[in-house]
Amino acid sequence: MRVTRLLMIIIVFGVFLTACGKAEQQSFEGPTDEELENLNETGMPIVEEQISLEFFAGQAPATNPDWNDVLVFNEYEERTNMDIKWKMVPHDSIAEQRNLALGSGSLPDAFHSAQLGLSDIAKYGEQGVFIPLNDLIDKYAPNFKKILDDHPVIRNAITMPDGNIYSFPLISDPEFASHRIQARPFINKKWLDELGMDMPQTTDEFYQFLTAVKNDLGEVPFGGPYISTLTQYLLGSFGLATRGGSNSYIDEDPETGDIRFYPVSDDYKEMLEYVHKLYDEELIENNIFSIDHHQFITNLGDGKYGSVVWFAPEEVASKENGGNYIGMPTLEGPHGDKLLTKIGDPVQSPGAFVITNENENPASTVRWIDYFYGEEGMELFFMGVEGETFEKADDGSIQFMDHITQSEDGLTFEEEIAKYLTFPGGGFPSMVNEKFFQGVANAPQSLEASDKLEPDMIDDDKIWPTLTYTKEEINQLQGFGTDIEKYVGEMTDKFISGAEPLSKWDAYVAEIENMGLEDYLEIKEAALERQLK
Amino acid sequence: MPLCTGTVQGGEVMATKNAADHALTTSRRQNFKKHFGANWQVYALLMPAITYFIIFNYIPMYGVQIAFKDYIANLGFWGSPFVGFEHFERFFDSYYFWRLLKNTLILSLYELLLFPLPIIFALALHELSYGKFKRWSQTLTYAPHFISVVVVVGMIVAFLDPITGLVNHIIEFFGGTSQNFLTDPNWFRHIFVWSGQWQSLGWGTIIYLAALAGVNPELLEAAKVDGASRLQRIMHINIPAIMPTIVVLFILNMGNFMAIGFQKVLLLQNNLNSETSDIIATFVYETGILEGQYSFSTAVGLFESAINIIVLVSANYLARKVSDNSLW
Repeated sequence: MRVTRLLMIIIVFGVFLTACGKAEQQSFEGPTDEELENLNETGMPIVEEQISLEFFAGQAPATNPDWNDVLVFNEYEERTNMDIKWKMVPHDSIAEQRNLALGSGSLPDAFHSAQLGLSDIAKYGEQGVFIPLNDLIDKYAPNFKKILDDHPVIRNAITMPDGNIYSFPLISDPEFASHRIQARPFINKKWLDELGMDMPQTTDEFYQFLTAVKNDLGEVPFGGPYISTLTQYLLGSFGLATRGGSNSYIDEDPETGDIRFYPVSDDYKEMLEYVHKLYDEELIENNIFSIDHHQFITNLGDGKYGSVVWFAPEEVASKENGGNYIGMPTLEGPHGDKLLTKIGDPVQSPGAFVITNENENPASTVRWIDYFYGEEGMELFFMGVEGETFEKADDGSIQFMDHITQSEDGLTFEEEIAKYLTFPGGGFPSMVNEKFFQGVANAPQSLEASDKLEPDMIDDDKIWPTLTYTKEEINQLQGFGTDIEKYVGEMTDKFISGAEPLSKWDAYVAEIENMGLEDYLEIKEAALERQLK
Repeated sequence: MPLCTGTVQGGEVMATKNAADHALTTSRRQNFKKHFGANWQVYALLMPAITYFIIFNYIPMYGVQIAFKDYIANLGFWGSPFVGFEHFERFFDSYYFWRLLKNTLILSLYELLLFPLPIIFALALHELSYGKFKRWSQTLTYAPHFISVVVVVGMIVAFLDPITGLVNHIIEFFGGTSQNFLTDPNWFRHIFVWSGQWQSLGWGTIIYLAALAGVNPELLEAAKVDGASRLQRIMHINIPAIMPTIVVLFILNMGNFMAIGFQKVLLLQNNLNSETSDIIATFVYETGILEGQYSFSTAVGLFESAINIIVLVSANYLARKVSDNSLW
């Protein structure tokens, strides 16, 4: 008797707690006639009679805390006649809140800046929770369509395994190299001059510079928050990652043209030998595998390193000593390879904006979001409103007004601009471009460095997009795939530090093959073929 | 997500046990009413604790079912398709399974080996007659307990740094060569366990000191008069007096056997020492939180909890056999 009663209680509790709705499995039929009647296909306002939509908004710590009353969206509401009710969700709990919204059945009309990953997009797209956008983009998103047509790599990167596009991504303007390169090589100009050396052009010359810094100056030749900053930069000098950096560990074998798992290639071994030599001769800071991130930034700010691969020291460390550093070009490797291959496809965050099946105005919503991929919309999004946040000079250049750059309250630029605009914090559906975007990537030191690298940057049409997988493939990759990648990560560091001698290379390769390398490559190849077709 | 199955709290168990004993000795329902009427204040006092355990330790257990399912967020816990032991099989077959299990067990055993340290320290403190020195030592050894994990790890990293760390400066001063403690898998366990001991030693003595304070002074006086040495007094009076406390604390410790301070491991971990620092808890964090494989990581966490329960129950059984003291 008592057991049954206990069971009853447990069951009641369980049912009570899991009162979740099931996903509606309906397919999207396109916008309704009712909506189209109210919609202007071009120009502003977007809709004749005002409509109101509810958006889920991912709120980064740096952005404006309430988008319901912020200059950029107030102004945009006036232009479009569309009233957006923003449901602000701070980043701390975003994954949880997002899953709750997706699981509860009470969906918002759209998710904005909600950090949706590729697997989520594929999954909920397939389930019909997010609507396919291919036709809507063709018809109602001229700006975004143009970007996709000009850059097929972007289209590939956001097309899911079922052939549909479900999201508007955050992209870097493919022309904006400085933003795409991310961490870049810098060299201590002061020491270079002191040593009377020329800028290193090859991996050998770089080695000589590092040796000179250690022996002649007694300083630390290279430092970083982790060793992969250096290895990523060197990949291209050793003929690795020939298809760009979106997919770690796979590229195209330059000899056979087949897909290759490059951590077992001879080129990779050669790179490890080179980096191990540097570490062994103490040309790399000894504590690079365990250094505290702040310690690294402090050291960089004090100008203690001969070279680093990081973001503009002047901006992220200190104005004073950071200025000693200048950019370094892509190095030529022992076999004449000279290419910066760590660059990924221009899609920074694939799921910056998705529309749900609850949305009764999908066409209007697509028009609403497409604006931010065009010149006018980007100006509004990144610069604000003329006369209120920015001014146009006679020569057509635009700049922020003084009350923003020189805050009365002593705030930084980012804090001040967040009073008017929402882009700080990132993750938004739009395109980061050189003209409007103000950030570290646009600082003079960053641009100087990226200008040196740009000539040797991998071509966009060579870059393989981030691969997307079917559910079946994900299951397999999460099994042995993550084990293989983890093993490679650990062994790479061990080979470099000397914890494992490179004489054990063959055993390492055999171990990976043993772990299921063949199946791993098969999955990658299938995904690749699907995506590039 | 790991469950708190191990953290049964002694006091609560005792209290409910006594109440239940009372209720059962007399014949059921009617007597219970009478009993309840007379003792309702006691039950009222018990309520907050029971509510707490139901809400935070029992209700969350229904989520454990996703270990046997392929969890899909918008289908909910009940709606997700059942897959049986698939996730467990995957874990047992995985490349890192043995390493994870080995590291978790070794680290746990190592910590367990140091279980007598606070007892010895408490006995030593208890023998101190000079009050000021005793108070000072107590305060000094308590203090590290209040430092947060992140700060402790920051201190460890700073002290052991191969270039700027104090420890290596001392080694070099005496003519040794600088050691890279943090990236050497052989050092990880010692660093982890002894820094933990440094933090918890003083705090761990509190309960023993309280128990020692309850030892009848007459016994000690009598032993003194009979010519018992200090060591003999400790061996034959103090230790037997605190034995029940030791046993209960030991069993409780066993309950947390596998629950190693996961944050600290994670913070001290790097690719070079993962040979010894990769444990089940960090693996659960990596797969569950970072990669979003909720079902799989729940299965792994459940496996860990299962081992924990087995250890706890056998420790309790052994304790009852050997010493007549046990939790239940």
